[in-house]
Amino acid sequence: MDFLTALRISGAGLGVERTRVNLATSNLANAETTRTAEGGAYKRLDPVIQAVPFPAELGEAQSLGSPPMKAEIAAIVADQTPGRKVYSPGHPDADPEGFVVFPNVNPVHEVVNLMSASRSYEANATAIETLKTMAQRGLDIAR
Amino acid sequence: MKIFDTTLTRLEEALDVRLVEHNVLAGNVANADTPGYRPKALDFSQAMAAAEQMFAGDGMASTSARHLGPAGEGAGEASSRASAAATLLIRETPGTSPSIDGNEVDLDRTMAGLAENSLQYGASARAAGKKLAILRYVVSDGGS
Amino acid sequence: MSIESIGSLTGPAGGIAPEPRARDVARPGDGPGSFTEALGGALGKVDKLQLEADAQAEKVALGGGNLHEMSLALEKADVSMRLAMKVRNKLVEAYQEIMRMGV
Repeated sequence: MDFLTALRISGAGLGVERTRVNLATSNLANAETTRTAEGGAYKRLDPVIQAVPFPAELGEAQSLGSPPMKAEIAAIVADQTPGRKVYSPGHPDADPEGFVVFPNVNPVHEVVNLMSASRSYEANATAIETLKTMAQRGLDIAR
Repeated sequence: MKIFDTTLTRLEEALDVRLVEHNVLAGNVANADTPGYRPKALDFSQAMAAAEQMFAGDGMASTSARHLGPAGEGAGEASSRASAAATLLIRETPGTSPSIDGNEVDLDRTMAGLAENSLQYGASARAAGKKLAILRYVVSDGGS
Repeated sequence: MSIESIGSLTGPAGGIAPEPRARDVARPGDGPGSFTEALGGALGKVDKLQLEADAQAEKVALGGGNLHEMSLALEKADVSMRLAMKVRNKLVEAYQEIMRMGV
């Protein structure tokens, strides 16, 4: 267990949180997008986060203890919940009954995700700062 | 002839174990948003005791060829016995703030733990540096 | 030659002690208040400070202890050791100076 490991763990955490922020902002930006390349309204994107034992090649030690894990994005999935329908016959994207399907984005939900991801990002950044301080102290032994 | 005393060894072990603890805590922070994740913890005094045993007994008997050897081989980047001993003692603990997605990491407590760990690491490093500085001073006839 | 004359050599302070000491034969100036004793006492104190610093450092290493107590103990050990080294260097210098003097 050394400094490089810690750096990679925290770095992975930063990446995960940044992805969450990106997805939340994408969802917010497309909250009213009724037309997409795949057809239909925009579907909000969700990250699937999983904990991965680190490093992956530490196979032996895994069975003996419980090594620290890093986080990573396993996949980004589109939320299949149907969006809300609004009756608006004059809208260019209205279906034959005159309903327009709007994205299944709840802005409040996305903002909460944004705030949570932001806090976690800061926490990971603090962990890295702490590591840097420790490394400095360690080097100071030899002045 | 022993130049470096047991106190210095104890300080070295403390530094190693503190680094392992940092890794554990950093892993918890990185997984603060992973659904269903149970935080890991390291009992520091337990780890220090294990590290000391490793040192005193000059390694444990492996019950399997695939287990970590006394010098930590097979542990990848673990560079010392104390590190290896501490790594074996990492456990999953029930978290204190279960949330809807099953994640149990208490971020605030973890951050506080990181801060304290860093402080203790610095203290041990400072003590080790000071002891060596005194030795260095004496060895160089009061020159530096 | 009577036993009394030898007996008169033993004095309350200084002089030859009735039994030889464990390691060295007593010389004039080795009694209480002598330089040897002062030096020995000082070195003993320096040693004690080193051990105290070790004890504090070990306490902190094991997770307990008091950070500022440890720092103070370490600093005291450092300063006292430096002082002892300076004294030792001066003594060596003085000795060499004396040896340089023609008889």
